[in-house]
Amino acid sequence: MRDLKHLIFFENLLQEANNDLVKRAREEGRKALGYTCYFMPEVLLDLSGCFSVRLRAPRSTSPEMATYYMSGRTCHYGRSLMERALEGGFNFIDAQMATETCTVTCRFQEHLQQMDIIQNPNFFCEFTDVPFKKSENSMEHFRKQLQAHVLDKLAEKFGVDTSDETLLAAIAQHNEVCRLITEIGSYRKLDVPTITGYEFHVIQLVTQTCPKDMILPYLRETAEELRTREPDRKPAWRVKVVLAGAENDDPNFTALIESCGALVVADRYCYGSLPGREEIAVAEGQSPLDAIAHHYLNTSMCPRFMPKEEMRGRKKYLADIVREYKADGLIVASNKFCEYWSYERMMDALILPRDFGIPTCSIEKEYVNSASGQLRTRFQAFIESVEIKKIQGEAKR
Amino acid sequence: MKKLDLQKLKSTDWKKLAKDFWYGKPHGEQRLGDLYQSKTGLYKHREWRGVKDTFYYFHNIWLYNYAHMVMDIMRFGGPVTFARGLWRYRWMGQTYLPVLHWFDRGLEGMRGEALRASAWHYRAMVNVSINQFMDMFKADGNLRGGEHNDAWYHAIAHKETVWGGVFYPWADRFKHIPMEMIPYFVTCHVNNHTVLNYIDAVQSIGLPGDPCPMCQAEAGLFVLDDMPDYAPFMVTTNEACDGSVASTAVQDWFMDVPLFAMPQPMQFDDPLVQEHCANEIRELWKFVEEQTGVAPNLKLLREKLESQNKLQRFEWEKWDVDANTPYYPINGVAQALYRIYQTQYGDHPIWHDTDKKVRRIMEKCVAEKIETFPKTRHRVIAWSCAPLYYSHWCTWAYNCWGLNCVINMDSLMFDMTIRTDDLDDTLLDMARYHEWAPMRRMAVGGMHHIFELWENMERFHCDMVMMYDQLQCKGMQGVVGLFEDEFRARNIHAIWMPHALPDKRTVSRAEIRRIINDYMTTVMQEEPLDPSLLDFDDSESW
Amino acid sequence: MRKVCKFLFKLLLICGGIYAALFAVFFFDLDGKALFYGVEPFLVKHYDKMPRRDPLSKAYDVGGEKEE
Repeated sequence: MRDLKHLIFFENLLQEANNDLVKRAREEGRKALGYTCYFMPEVLLDLSGCFSVRLRAPRSTSPEMATYYMSGRTCHYGRSLMERALEGGFNFIDAQMATETCTVTCRFQEHLQQMDIIQNPNFFCEFTDVPFKKSENSMEHFRKQLQAHVLDKLAEKFGVDTSDETLLAAIAQHNEVCRLITEIGSYRKLDVPTITGYEFHVIQLVTQTCPKDMILPYLRETAEELRTREPDRKPAWRVKVVLAGAENDDPNFTALIESCGALVVADRYCYGSLPGREEIAVAEGQSPLDAIAHHYLNTSMCPRFMPKEEMRGRKKYLADIVREYKADGLIVASNKFCEYWSYERMMDALILPRDFGIPTCSIEKEYVNSASGQLRTRFQAFIESVEIKKIQGEAKR
Repeated sequence: MKKLDLQKLKSTDWKKLAKDFWYGKPHGEQRLGDLYQSKTGLYKHREWRGVKDTFYYFHNIWLYNYAHMVMDIMRFGGPVTFARGLWRYRWMGQTYLPVLHWFDRGLEGMRGEALRASAWHYRAMVNVSINQFMDMFKADGNLRGGEHNDAWYHAIAHKETVWGGVFYPWADRFKHIPMEMIPYFVTCHVNNHTVLNYIDAVQSIGLPGDPCPMCQAEAGLFVLDDMPDYAPFMVTTNEACDGSVASTAVQDWFMDVPLFAMPQPMQFDDPLVQEHCANEIRELWKFVEEQTGVAPNLKLLREKLESQNKLQRFEWEKWDVDANTPYYPINGVAQALYRIYQTQYGDHPIWHDTDKKVRRIMEKCVAEKIETFPKTRHRVIAWSCAPLYYSHWCTWAYNCWGLNCVINMDSLMFDMTIRTDDLDDTLLDMARYHEWAPMRRMAVGGMHHIFELWENMERFHCDMVMMYDQLQCKGMQGVVGLFEDEFRARNIHAIWMPHALPDKRTVSRAEIRRIINDYMTTVMQEEPLDPSLLDFDDSESW
Repeated sequence: MRKVCKFLFKLLLICGGIYAALFAVFFFDLDGKALFYGVEPFLVKHYDKMPRRDPLSKAYDVGGEKEE
């Protein structure tokens, strides 16, 4: 396939949390607001005068200092963020809009509160409590939390305009990003997709880590480019897979899978677009904040949700994605020491092959995957087994 | 035949011998470690504590508890139900028969009032445990070929971290029975062999080894088909951590009954969360009413809460004595286990009976100025989550080193009474109570609560910290560095005690003892009170 | 009267014997030893051999029931 015009530019943006677009936005006097989890609605951080940056620690190695503070027995992602913060890599953020949605990222953010890590004079870290259910009581609670801990704080600390009009403008901008990402992602549903999993992963990540208004022109152009992009006559992949699981902001992990002969056609993981890039609908008479609170709770498929129908519905959601994206198999990856995804991965690996007939590869990974040889072997074996099944299936037909 | 050694006989101090026989050897001369059989932890013979205390132990602890265990079984369902349960469930048969050894381990070396008061706490826990497992067996469909009886329809199953008090409005007609408290939690203390089966079971179906082993074991009970089918619905919660949330999915799969999730917020200091939390309790009540067809009895709720408040008020009196005098008659392990059991399970008549007895003993100690732990060298506060398979480390540490664990973090949870005059206030307090649960309020709740350690050290006049280092608790692992910094800055003696909650294979009891020994000899430069306890092999013990 | 005394004496002897036996069980930890070497291994063998349902064969209805 023809190279995407902006791919290298996008890749470069992902080399640093404080990338060129972030720097430019800060030079314009806008406030950079860090966050780590989908439960912190990025749209609320993209109001006029500020912008959201979902924190990553690209090019991390061994998080030595963070390991002193958080031990070697916590999630590598949380520790890598902590290490990057201790190294000064997050000094550009003006505030951390925190959630306690998993223990280790919660601890990372609490360290930002307790210790003088972020060398930015006006820095503050504010926690929002996120419910575990989607009931009306939870919705109401979440709305109040967002009002008190996000909007009111931004207004108080930075004088940000948090009126309904500003919120609606942010939603409009956010929805355009979602529309474009959904369109770009939809090419993965084709029998022969015209975008690779790696390319999509990079594009999705830049939308989370750069000011939306600055990345939008490039997104529009990329979407336009993809409308006419032709697939390779002889694609390099042998099977198509869905990648699901815990936190994953490393496009090289997707590239690793694709280098083994699979095409990653859907991204159902933290930092992924499924779910995450659905448009926010504001009903008539509904306040924008209420719509946002509902949207983020309703769309999330986080293993943190506890009601029976949520826990079980997640399996169906995943199976539906596999079907919709015409995937041949599923890779579920959890980060080592991630409590939520350890169980979710185990359940997925048991239920999806048994009840939905979906071949599933279950793996545990680190934030920095230095042991890629082992992973490669696992993926190659899985892809081979799926391929054989596929050939046998076709032969039977 | 051995020749009579006249020289030795002549040099024998008969007076001392008689004194030791009558009063028991003084602390330091007991050589408690010599009583153990190697590996098994069984006693060559039980300890001679002097005539009075040995016979107190024999009559009022050993015989009394064996007899009362039989009586409890008769009272709560009868020997047939008991035998069927024992035959069916590993956690029952393997764990609960050697319960008197659990007493032995916790009460080793204790004398006088400390022995008496601590033993009453153990007795109460045994009574409630028997009550619970007999209630489970009476209702258990597994013991009746899948048939569900009236008891099944009158039972409420809930995660052990759901505070039993939320079911007070149905206390007269329905039994609330925590799912894992008896099959998992108590077993680890009594016989740590059992739980390993459950941890292995859940890992055998694909769970990695690193999540919290408590949640692993709780899920493993279901994987191993070792959970009674005793109730038509279940209530779960996110207490204490991510692992509890995640393992609920496994429990839901295998239990497959209507489920209500009653999560508690992590940021519980935020005044905005309280109303949300109170509403969760209202929704739970609605769910229970729908499931049972019985409306909540709010009068009963008030009565039970007032009864529970009484327990809390006595606990405060106890803490006052504990913090400010050397006359507190309850040892570290009895304090920790009784308190966590009582507060988590909720009100029960045996707690009140026990508190009455303990009050008498404590008042006597204060009035007569009886120093209950006279060999105390250091007053220790234990912080974070304790090793369940070695909850009696404090008994060992006192006997060996004079480390008197006067209070622990879990005891300080649920530190409140609940208002009963107005339902809205009651609900807000109930919400708050639940938020202050063990392993939660400090271990994985808002970080600053973890550092309440310093004020509690001061409050209880402690000069040393036993810092539990639960290797698989992400909440506590995520804060180790700050503790190190603070310990250094405040010049506090802290011993990190690594462990894996119920799983003795990760860090053995011997390893824990070695770490304490090393600290005491190298850093504190102290000599042991009882050198026979420094090193012994109890690798196969219960 | 003599008979009664004799009976009481016998009863006392029996009770004394039982008491002494119980004390011996207590003091020499015979209860612990019996449980450790006899009862627990026997029960463990029983539990290990026991037929158990395979939980993994249990259906998983992804439609789920409504929570409230």
